[in-house]
Parts: sequence; C-alpha cells; structure tokens
Amino acid sequence: MIPSQVIAELRAAVGDANLIVDCTQLQTYECDGLTNFRAAPGAVVLPREAAQVQAAVQVCATHNIPFVARGAGTGLSGGALPTPGCVVIGLARMNRVLSIDLENALITVEPGVTNSQVTDLVRSAGFFYAPDPSSQIVCTIGGNLAENAGGAHCLKYGFTTTHVLGCEVVLPTGELVWLGSATGVPDTPGYDLPGVFIGSEGTLGVATKAVLRIVRRPQCVQTLLAAFDSSTAAGQTVSDIIAAGMLPSAMEMMDRTSIFAAEAAVHAGYPDCECLLLVELDGPVDEVNTQMHRVRDLCTKNGALGGDKAQRLAQSDAERLLVWKGRKAAFAAMGRVSPNYIVQDGVIPRTQLPRVLDEMAHMSAETGLRIANVFHAGDGNLHPMVLYDASHPGEEERALNLSYKILELCVDAGGSITGEHGVGREKQCVMSYMFAEPDLATMHRVRHAFDPHNIANPEKLFPTPRLCGERSRGSYVPHPIEAAGLAEVF
Amino acid sequence: MLATLTDLKIDTHVHDDITVLSPTMTEEVAAILRSANAENLAVEPAGGRSKLTWGSRVTPRLQLSTARLTGIREHVWQDMTATVAAGTPWSTMQRELARHNQRVALDPVFPDRATVGGVIATNDSGVLRRRYGSLRDLVIGMTIVLADGTIARSGGKVVKNVAGYDLPKLLTGSFGTLGVITEVTFRLHPLPTKTLSLTARSASITQLADLMHRIAAAPLSLEAMQLRNEDADFALDIQLASEPDVLRNQEQQLRNLAQDCTLAPADPNIWSQRERLFAEPDATVLKISSLPAKLSAIVGAAAVLNTQPHVRAHCIAEPTGILTVAFSALPQHLAVLTEDLRARLRAHGGSSVVLRRGLLPHSVNSWGDTPPAIELMRAIKHEFDPNRILNPGRFVGDI
Repeated sequence: MIPSQVIAELRAAVGDANLIVDCTQLQTYECDGLTNFRAAPGAVVLPREAAQVQAAVQVCATHNIPFVARGAGTGLSGGALPTPGCVVIGLARMNRVLSIDLENALITVEPGVTNSQVTDLVRSAGFFYAPDPSSQIVCTIGGNLAENAGGAHCLKYGFTTTHVLGCEVVLPTGELVWLGSATGVPDTPGYDLPGVFIGSEGTLGVATKAVLRIVRRPQCVQTLLAAFDSSTAAGQTVSDIIAAGMLPSAMEMMDRTSIFAAEAAVHAGYPDCECLLLVELDGPVDEVNTQMHRVRDLCTKNGALGGDKAQRLAQSDAERLLVWKGRKAAFAAMGRVSPNYIVQDGVIPRTQLPRVLDEMAHMSAETGLRIANVFHAGDGNLHPMVLYDASHPGEEERALNLSYKILELCVDAGGSITGEHGVGREKQCVMSYMFAEPDLATMHRVRHAFDPHNIANPEKLFPTPRLCGERSRGSYVPHPIEAAGLAEVF
Repeated sequence: MLATLTDLKIDTHVHDDITVLSPTMTEEVAAILRSANAENLAVEPAGGRSKLTWGSRVTPRLQLSTARLTGIREHVWQDMTATVAAGTPWSTMQRELARHNQRVALDPVFPDRATVGGVIATNDSGVLRRRYGSLRDLVIGMTIVLADGTIARSGGKVVKNVAGYDLPKLLTGSFGTLGVITEVTFRLHPLPTKTLSLTARSASITQLADLMHRIAAAPLSLEAMQLRNEDADFALDIQLASEPDVLRNQEQQLRNLAQDCTLAPADPNIWSQRERLFAEPDATVLKISSLPAKLSAIVGAAAVLNTQPHVRAHCIAEPTGILTVAFSALPQHLAVLTEDLRARLRAHGGSSVVLRRGLLPHSVNSWGDTPPAIELMRAIKHEFDPNRILNPGRFVGDI
C-alpha cells in the first residue's frame, strides 16, 4: 500500500486525470505479455510530458518507493510486471512525434509512439525504421528501448540500440538528462550511455524522448519460401548462404507444428513439410536477382522439396506481407494446437542448431511435452514453444522447468538465454547459469551508478537469493564447438 | 613498489621512467591491477601506441602493455564470429580472418600498429561505418579487468543477445578509464566479392555534396564514401562492392549520376587517406562529430582556411557525420581556429576531440564542452575505478 500522503504527492505530480488508484482499474496493469506472473501495483501514473514523469519519479525517490515503467505491456519476459505495491509509470499517453529530419535521416519521438507508426511516418519519403518486433503494431518505442527490441531483420539491420542516437531519460534519482545526442550526432564525447541504457529493462531509468535513425527503403525486396524434409537440410542451406558471402535481410525457419498453427491462423499458403525456410533479400534489383538465383540453387542442392519449381518467391508487397503474417502470428497461433504454451527466446551459434534440436527432441520425449520451434536462423535466435495443458495438474510447472532447461542447453551450446525478449522476471534465475558472479557484480556496479537506492524496476534482470536460491555456474567451460574440434582454435 | 608483482615473473622493463609491464594472460592483468590499485599507482593501458596522444595527457606510473596478449582465440567462420586477444594488431587479425573470406567490417587508422583493444578503447572508425556500423555494432562480447582486479565477461559469442547490461558498449570508447580489455568477440562480415573505387572531383563543394546525397539515395551497392578537400578541388571517393556483373551496370549508373563532375579511378591508397592527416608532425588533428547535412559546410570551410596565409586545413568527412581534420598554423591561431570550430559545432549539438595536439596550446581542452550527463559518467567511473588509477584525467570532464 502506498500511504495516502504519497498518493497526494503523485496526484500533484501528474494531475488527478493521470492517476489511477482504484483497485479494479489497477488490475489492467498487473501483468504484461507474460501473463502467468501477476502482481498489483499501488498506483499507476499516466504522465503526458517528461516533467510529469520526472515529478513522479522524484516522489518515488523521496519515499523510496519502487517504480516500474510500462509501454504497451506486450513484453514477453515480465519486464513491466509490477513490484507489489509499486508505482507503475505508463507512457502510452506520451505519444507525440517531435520532429522528422529527412536530411539527416532522423526522427525524434516520445516513448508512447508505436514502432509501426515510426515507419508509417517516413514511408512516403522512402525510409523505414528497421527494428521490427512481431508486436510492432502495438508495442511502443519506450518499451523497445527498454528491451532492446529486435525482430526478424536484425542480422542485416541490427537492433534497437543500433538505431538510437540519443535519449532523454529520467534517472531513478529524479534527474532529467540526455544520454547520447539530443540532435542525433553520432559519437558524442563520453561513455556510450545509450549503449548501456538501451536493453536495461527499465532498471536504469525511464526514457522520455528518443532520437531514432531511419533507413532508406531498399529498391527491391524478395522473399523465398522453400520446403525441406528436415531441419538439418534447411540449416545446411542457411550455412551455405552465409558461406557464399551473402547477407540476407532475414532467414527464418519454422517446424511442422509451427507451420500447421500459422497456416490454421492466417492461411499464408505454406507448403506441407517438416521444415520451412524463408529467405529475404533486399537491395538494388540486379544484386537481389543475382543473389536470389544463387539462394535457389543452394536450396535445390540441399534437397528442397519439389526442386526449383516448388520454391515460392514472393515479390509483391501483398504476397510478402502474407508470408510474414504467418511467421509473425506463429506464437499467437499456437493456441490452435495447444491450450497453453510458453515461448522461449534462447540464442545459439547457428552451427549448433542440429545438436540443439536433437537434444530438444530428447527432452520432449522424456517429459512428454511437445516443443514447437520458430528460429531466426540468420542470427541464431531460437523461439521454442513448450506446449502444455494447464488443466492437467503439475503440467505447467513441468513445462516451465523444461523451458528453463532449454535455455541452459542454449548456454551450453555457447549461446544466450535471451535474444530479444529480455530477462525480466521470467529468466532472472537463469542469469547465474549464463554469467559468473563477478560478471553480474560488474553489472551491479552500473546499476548502482544509475540507481543507488535500487528503486527502478527492482527484482528484475538480476538473480536474487529470495527468488532464485543459490545457483551458480563455475567459471570457464570450453566452448562445445571448440571441444568438438569444429572451430579453428589458434 | 609492486613487491607482489615480482613473484609473478611478468615481463617488465623501464621506458622513459615509466615501468612497462607486459602480461601474457588475463589473470596476470588482474594481478597487476590489483597491486597497482592497492598502492594507488596510475596505470596507462597501451596497445600498439599509435593513439596514446588521443584525448588528454596522462602521467602514469605504470604502463600496462598488451603486446604479449595476442592471437586469435577462435574463429568460427560458419557462425561468422571470432574471439581475439586485445593486443593483436588489427591487420594481423584481418589477415587471419581473410583466410575464410571474412573480416571485421571496420577500417581504423594505422591498422598495422593499432591493436584490437586500442581501436576499441578509442572507438576509432573509418569509411565502412556507413554500411556496417561502428564498433558498438560489431563487438558482441568482451573480457575486461577492472581496477580492483575483477575479471568480468559480458556479452557472448552470438550476434543477438540481450542478457544483462551491454558492458562492451560502455567500454567501447572509454579510453581505458573503466577497465582493461583483454579479449574481444566480434561479429564478422564477408569480404566483398569485387569492389570498384572512383573519385569524383569538382571545384564546387555544393556540387559534390549534391552528388553524395544522390548516390546515397540511389539503388547502388555502396560500400564506402568520403568527401574531402584537396589543394585545388574537392573530391568525393566512392566505393561500390557487389557481384562482378552487378558492378558493371552500377558503374554506368554512377557515371550517369556524376555527369557534372570529373570521375576517375581512385588512387589505390585513397581509403587510408585519413592516416595522411597525421603525417605533418606539428599539425593539430581533431575528430569531429556532426550531422550528415553539415558535412559539406565543414569541408568547404577547411578549403576557405587554406586560402589564408600560413594556414593549412585538410578535412575528410564520412557520410554518417564523423570527420577527421588536420590544421597547421601558429599556436595562437590554432587555438582560435579550434574554439571557433567548436562554437559552430555547438549550434547543432556537434563536438570535436583532439586526437593529436601538435602546436595547439594546452589551454585548449582536448574534449571541448563537458557533456550534460557528466555526473552520471563520473558515477560510473567511481563504481568501476574508485581510486582513479586507470588513465586518470585522459577522458572527458577530467575522468
């Protein structure tokens, strides 16, 4: 409970119309996209300008009350899950576009602007905003900054952090300060503060403005769909494309269960097969044509079903949109094949894919729980979905355990526990499997510099003894690729 | 002094009254820093010594050389990643990676001498930046040693990774003030199949600025571009990279775009032109951060300065907004030039940092204005290095 005197201060900070304290209304904010974790906030403020955010944070700082920033609440790791009794700072009402500077390819927005809106605003001028998380129609730029959102086109275009030149931030101490450049100048003198702030999951402050870099739309985009009878053959095709020196804007793989679910949901016209590979190339027409020809040859060489003819090339925007709609709907579509599911977000070195998929098949057989996979094959980001039925007693817990085991498997393969969803509440206990104690202690030093009293989204990201008990990974473990003699070790 | 170190048998010699230590592994770096920290001795990390003049001057008691921390630890070419020891010279690394037609897509100055760690600590970048990004986009993992000897690994060996804070970004461009980088993992790019470099020349900077703009907007496989002033004219160097057939068509497109200028094959050394700005020993060299739309005005201003007696100004601009400029003039004139430049840059949030002082008087600060977030930067420094033993005073705001 937040004392009434503090509520009065919050009301003064943001205005009565921008404050929620009613219990029923507070329920809207008790979780984000990770719905199996819930907690009620003590109050929600919905500021309309940076000064109100600052005033609200100052109230929290004065009274040592934790606060949690929130955008559209689409996050999948519980980053916007309230700390019980905290102040939630919802930024959806701060949705103004402050300037568009085409000459310098920049756009300055408030945090509540949605990801898709940014591209919509600059499309007619021939630009786009590159990060494209699957939730892009609703998710906000503020949330994208907090999570360092990615998407399907990261391999070529990078992540949110690649495209932010500066951001105005309310620090947990209540100060308002620009990190990086307010005008979009690269390499401003000093530490790369946007670099460490972006992806800090709301633990270092609240962004109130962001200067984003926009990118010229390529002359041509082509998307190829090829069907394979095994993930190994599809994976080999991906490796061959990379070895040929091409850098596709996206490479996606979907397994049979994911294809079935996506097809049932959006009728993208996917072929019936074990593994679907989607390769997107963009750039100048002649270059894309030449490279697409080579990609098709590589697909055929690796046994794409039906040979060259069965590979489908989406060239029009409408065709491509449909192909992508199926892929982007893959998570939500799982509801059609299973009553409940957990989406995970591990990353593995691409070459480890066959081994990791085999191991996952074993784990699935052992637990009796199905696992569906969609995979950003270009950058190694794997999204296993553990399917379960919560109405069966104990099954949810087994599914959760299995999903954490999969993350440990990704770490063992030389990868990461999260590629784009963030650690949040969901994966904080696996952090100590990925990082040794001194690594985490060094991150804590950063946190302490920004937030000396630990009030910004506390109990997230870092493993805590209260939530995780004692779990630790030893220091050096040889990289499995190294151990298997597959890598060149000098 | 450093009694504990004598047991470690770390290669030590004295150079210009400074003790130089050359550890061979991360744990030895940790032992050195732990001792130095306990005895409050200022330490200057050094790689190939090609950029020790960048930023403010430091008077260290110890120099920690990475000369013996060398080698490619791992090159997983199928995953397009490589882990490299920080003391490895940049071009040595590139030669190894080229065996599988790969590279770190960054072109720093002095690649034969500059080490991986030094390039990262100073956040150097060249013309590949427009297409491939800067170090913050290419470094995916790092091992660092903090002032108290803590060894921390962060990031990883995969391109996409949001687990925990992005410490590699914090260390990149920190000029050795937060920790000593001992190992780095890069994401790699393929070497281009074929490249074509041309130089467009014109007496009009506006004409070249316009050409630069049109090339950036055209459907070309543009690898690199730089705008600079020559003694008589202005020059725009352009590099295309693609498949051989594609390049033939694109060269014609480029010629059509550049009809108003003279277009000739580029000098083979043109892409290391930035190094020549350091050739004149007394010249003051600055790194300028600006906006794309301001580049031609800055290059044009350099040409105007060249018409003044006893002043030489050469400037190379990279399209994302980074310029390198060399001024030669009398000391008092250099001070005026630098302050005037800073005032003009300030108007649009730009800045300039001294890479080499030359005859520029010490009254002119190496870093220019103190950034707005300086207190936060100091707080980070305090957390990482409370005794201020790592490069004290080298960085912005006397950090």
